[in-house]
Amino acid sequence: MRKIIAGILSLVFLSAFIHLIAVLSLPHLAPKNAWARVSALADSNRMVVLPAANPAHQSLPLMAPDVRYAICRFNLESGPVRLSTQILDGLWLITFYTPSGENFYAITGSELKRNQIEIIISRKDRLGFKAGASLLDEIEDLVLVDSPVKEGVAVIRAPLLGRSYASQTEAALNRGTCSNHVAKTASGR
Amino acid sequence: MRPLLQLLLLFIVSLAAGLGSAWYMIEEGSAFTTARIGPWSVWHSAGKPDADPYTIAHMARAGRLPINATTALYFFAGTDNEGLPLRAQCEYVVEGRPINAAWWSIALYDGTGRLIPNKAERHSFNRTDIARRADGSFRIVLARTARPGNWLPSADDGTLKLVLRAYGVRHADGIAADAAVVFPNLPSIRKVLCR
Repeated sequence: MRKIIAGILSLVFLSAFIHLIAVLSLPHLAPKNAWARVSALADSNRMVVLPAANPAHQSLPLMAPDVRYAICRFNLESGPVRLSTQILDGLWLITFYTPSGENFYAITGSELKRNQIEIIISRKDRLGFKAGASLLDEIEDLVLVDSPVKEGVAVIRAPLLGRSYASQTEAALNRGTCSNHVAKTASGR
Repeated sequence: MRPLLQLLLLFIVSLAAGLGSAWYMIEEGSAFTTARIGPWSVWHSAGKPDADPYTIAHMARAGRLPINATTALYFFAGTDNEGLPLRAQCEYVVEGRPINAAWWSIALYDGTGRLIPNKAERHSFNRTDIARRADGSFRIVLARTARPGNWLPSADDGTLKLVLRAYGVRHADGIAADAAVVFPNLPSIRKVLCR
């Protein structure tokens, strides 16, 4: 009887251990996680408009056929990164992710007063602007995003208000930029 | 020899139980990780900083970048209202009342997550392009051949998957903490006939 109970307990503990190892290790072992896919799609600090999802191709899994996407894979190694895009509608959504897929910040078009947004992504507590640089004149037009990671990705999602809006939405996304931020110096203005 | 065999058996059974239960909870979710509203399920901590390990593993395996549930909600359905898998050989009616969001979309994929090729190039209906009744309710038919009204062309064979995306979720407290509270009535998915 004792042997049977010991056997059942061993089975339960060993199963639970294997279960935990599998769950905790999978995010590191998944070969096609979102970060691997994004890294294959875009160079650092460059805006890439993803092709519209169609039956033959989806850049990322389960893309919406009626949403247009652009991504900026940012790398803050050399300082802050500036993301600039037109916002055609309050439904547009810009989300920021760590490589592990944590959505650490999001902003929607409806929160903005303008149809153009300038975002500066910087390391948390390390704004990184050079001495003498000033944002004072620009601050009204800027959204500052503190990133908890050196590398990550920003995704712009633009829902279509109808099929006829596709080309103007894609054109607006194509005008967006993502690049290293060069702060204007006080003397340079 | 016998103890060695017993140990081997114990290890094999534990491996199967451990990996099987992990696969199920990562793939399908559980009461701890997903909310179920009729045939729809939502991973409620997807994208959040405090997401549980199962949700993180699910998203890593799926290769998706989830939106934090306070901003938008994604619902997935692979079964009809009866809990039976959505099959391309069957015709379904998706019927619902107005959805509580500034923009929403219902898209149809095959079981592997691919959009289904069709001459109409129709893969989804959203809040702005769907034909609705006067009271705001709507009806979508999933079928292989054309149907009047909102028709989403289905595949020749295999299983189907529906994704309902809700952007600009309207909720009183500003936080979509409980999807079932914000969306008490998501569209029903009813099987009409099978070939």
